[in-house]
Amino acid sequence: MRPLTPRRLLSVCAVLAGILFVTVVLSLRLGAYSISSGDIVMTLINRVIGRTNQIPSEFNLVVFGLRLPRIALGILVGASLSVAGAGFQALLRNPLADPYVLGVSSGAALGAILSLSLAPHSPLAMQGAAFLGAAGTIAAVYFLGRRGGQLDSSTLLLAGIISASFLSAIISFLMTTLAGRDLRGMAFWLMGDLSSAPPADPGRWFGWLFFVFFIAAGAIYTTASDLNLILTGEEEARHLGVHVGRVKLVVYVSASLLTGLAVSVSGSIGYVGLLVPHVIRMIFGSDYRLLIPATAIGGAIAIVFADTLARMVVAPTELPVGAMTALAGAPVFIYLLRRRMR
Amino acid sequence: MQFRKSYTPILFLALTFTATAAQASQAPIAAPTAGPKSTAQFIDELGRKVTVATEVRRIVSLAPNLTETVYALGLQERLAGDTDYCDYPKEATAKPHVGGPMSPSVEAIVALHPDLVLATTSINRIQTVAALEHVGIPVYVSDPHSVEGLLAGIRKIADITGASTSGKSIVDDLQARLDSLHAALNGSTSSRVLFIVWSSPLISVGQGTFIADALKLAGAESVVKSTKNWPEMSMEEVVRLRPEYLIFARGHDDPDAGNLDVLRTRPVYRDLKPVRDGHVVSVSDSIDRPAPRMIDAIEALAHQLHSAAFVTRQHDSGARAERSASLAGTSGKEGCPCGL
Amino acid sequence: MSGAADSARPGAGSSSGSGSFPPGSGQNPARVLVEQATYAYAATDRDAPEFTLGPISFEGDRREVISILGPNASGKSTMLKLLAGVLKPLSGRVQIDGSDASELDPRVRAQRVALVQQESALLFPLRVWEYVLQGRYPYGRRLRFQSAQDCRMAENALLQVGADDLRDRWMEQLSGGEKQRVILARSLAQEPALLLLDEPTQHLDIGGKVELLRRLRRLADENRFTVIVVTHELNLAAEFSDRIVLLHKGKCMRTGEPTEVYQRDLLEQVFQAPLEVHLSVTGKPRVLVRDPDIAAARPGWTIDPN
Repeated sequence: MRPLTPRRLLSVCAVLAGILFVTVVLSLRLGAYSISSGDIVMTLINRVIGRTNQIPSEFNLVVFGLRLPRIALGILVGASLSVAGAGFQALLRNPLADPYVLGVSSGAALGAILSLSLAPHSPLAMQGAAFLGAAGTIAAVYFLGRRGGQLDSSTLLLAGIISASFLSAIISFLMTTLAGRDLRGMAFWLMGDLSSAPPADPGRWFGWLFFVFFIAAGAIYTTASDLNLILTGEEEARHLGVHVGRVKLVVYVSASLLTGLAVSVSGSIGYVGLLVPHVIRMIFGSDYRLLIPATAIGGAIAIVFADTLARMVVAPTELPVGAMTALAGAPVFIYLLRRRMR
Repeated sequence: MQFRKSYTPILFLALTFTATAAQASQAPIAAPTAGPKSTAQFIDELGRKVTVATEVRRIVSLAPNLTETVYALGLQERLAGDTDYCDYPKEATAKPHVGGPMSPSVEAIVALHPDLVLATTSINRIQTVAALEHVGIPVYVSDPHSVEGLLAGIRKIADITGASTSGKSIVDDLQARLDSLHAALNGSTSSRVLFIVWSSPLISVGQGTFIADALKLAGAESVVKSTKNWPEMSMEEVVRLRPEYLIFARGHDDPDAGNLDVLRTRPVYRDLKPVRDGHVVSVSDSIDRPAPRMIDAIEALAHQLHSAAFVTRQHDSGARAERSASLAGTSGKEGCPCGL
Repeated sequence: MSGAADSARPGAGSSSGSGSFPPGSGQNPARVLVEQATYAYAATDRDAPEFTLGPISFEGDRREVISILGPNASGKSTMLKLLAGVLKPLSGRVQIDGSDASELDPRVRAQRVALVQQESALLFPLRVWEYVLQGRYPYGRRLRFQSAQDCRMAENALLQVGADDLRDRWMEQLSGGEKQRVILARSLAQEPALLLLDEPTQHLDIGGKVELLRRLRRLADENRFTVIVVTHELNLAAEFSDRIVLLHKGKCMRTGEPTEVYQRDLLEQVFQAPLEVHLSVTGKPRVLVRDPDIAAARPGWTIDPN
């Protein structure tokens, strides 16, 4: 009998964090602008110790203006989507659930497309509108997914799928009839793309994003033990003292928030939220107390790696990262499926 | 409460992370500078106020039409890089590439140390422009909706890059040609045309596009009144609109476009009046690339539609007609303007 | 009233060398007290009730096995839910160790009452020990790691059901009988005062049924808890129960020892079948299906409801 101990939790996270570190280093090193590892290290050190005037301005630009924000965004998005995916899989009692199944990304896409047509030259407006779209969908699906005052897994799933289809239909309609603007940007958004630049004050922007991430992911983490129980049966969990209704609400809101966050800044990157939790489960087990932090780091690794590939494969053209996750995701999915069959 | 107790370490982690992130990106990103330069400001076609060095020595173009413009202005020595799609003139393909117009590598652009980047709303994404802004590289965004706008844009780019004299002479020349075209067409009634960008599905051009404007200058009136830039339509709509001419832009994707013999065998098309009358015109697809060559295409089109108006002038503009004819025969690997 | 909560179980922290559970804390005479409890189901709040239960009264003490008997739709499951505290009685009371079952905080209630159910399909692979450890959830903080104490309790529970050799197996690999023992072990890990089972013998063969009821009997004796089983196995219930509660269409027909309750007229009325009651060598009643021809020769019997 080897139940999860804090030590195992920390050691698994340490190992994964190590892999993430290596991936980040790789991503920092590779790029169309050639800059040696030594220069990168010097730039980082000089920045950290405050000697910013010692850094050649171009290195500063490439490392801190281009690569690091992209990596940071990748970590945020990867972690958010994976944790959200794990949460939804428990909430909906369905291993095929991914962060988009409840329509959050469709709502965000609707916001994005409206923003593209009304304010085409403001990427920031697009992000804000996408988030609003996501929030609206979260609320709507919540009210549709209730049964007897509580969130019911099957009702929620149906409500989400229907909302997603409905919103997609509206989006198709808009894309064909919207006057004037070319909605070229939507193609990239729908694929998922990390190239959106942070606003003029990236510190605060990232600060806010990560803050929301930790709040939402943290909220899900507090329900980790409850989720373990709920996964063996809702009624049984209730009889063991789990506040099932409250847990479902917390997971629903938090996971949807994480999805909305990720999707607003990078579009709908696919497969990560579905597959990373499964891969982590295969290696480390399904205990959510370990799964949630492990899957967060795992998702970060996946996205940073996929983005690095997307930038380098047909350089200098940059593929949208969603294309990479889809390409890699399908074979991984098939492999997992076959293993389950055995 | 139990909830709060397990939440504290997470909250703590969140705050620490936020604080570190905020602290880490405090200093603004500076543009690459090699010593103090004198700068000027301009306002681009999107109304953006941009600061650029008065001496623009290195230019990167993010669209084929802008590359053509750069060459037309005689600035090719200063063109540090362009896209994979830039194919005219031939020398442009030898320049360092930064990727495709929709997804260029910002790093590759930075590596070229440009003083100015040229972009256009017809094919580039606003996210690319924002990313370049973020790293402090000046971007001129062109937003062509009319031929007049195109000419004014050429002038502006010329002024910014210090090629004002060649800019003025090019634009004056183009304007003169357009004026004489206008004079020649004075009195002819506009032909009602349907400009076909793509045959399946059938896509035409909207009123707000520069193609529609170009058509007007060529003595044609697009029968499509949509405000959408690239409206899709059904064949029924085509029949209802009753155009006199069908105009196809010859491109690499659709080599048979505008081939009358092929159209005469195609169902529905073969029954349209323009096809039966033989009123099918194909023009070089420089008509949908906002660059100086667009005027050539406009002239060629005008000649094809209103050949009668040009007969009397044939003798004193033989050279011009020759040029139009030779241009009508060109086709090159030019990209489709609709970024769908 | 129910504020005593987790800390009010003296001896809950210690464990003896044998596999038995430490004694509970109840000072009240009866472990389980059901007094004139009623309940009703209606389609909506304003409709007349479609089904009413009660009033029902009975008591259960430590080491007792009580069977709730009755044909289908007699209200047995509803009664069980009242005992589990999931439903609140419309009138009367259902108390466990002196506290109203429905008023208890769910975690506290989970420390007192364990409801053993048919298992639902598991989504992700789970080991037997993980599953049994989940029974320790009601103890300690929500988000926590299991302690040595928890592991010991889970181990004990597995021993008690004779399944400790299944410890490292995957749940999905178990047979029906093995799975049931493991589910029982999880409930035992809760260290309950009251163990509730809903038709536990449904899918078992006769050997399995006997084994289960024997085990329940033994567990009740060793651990001094009360076991309440909902069943319609007349003979097994008679053999293994200390007390019977007979329900019929929501009404409590009789409660008492098996010999008191198993009266032929009563049983025939409730179960609508020709029956006859004998006594076995152990002194417990045995119910057999009667030859219908003899029944035809005895018209006009009545029953008297309590």
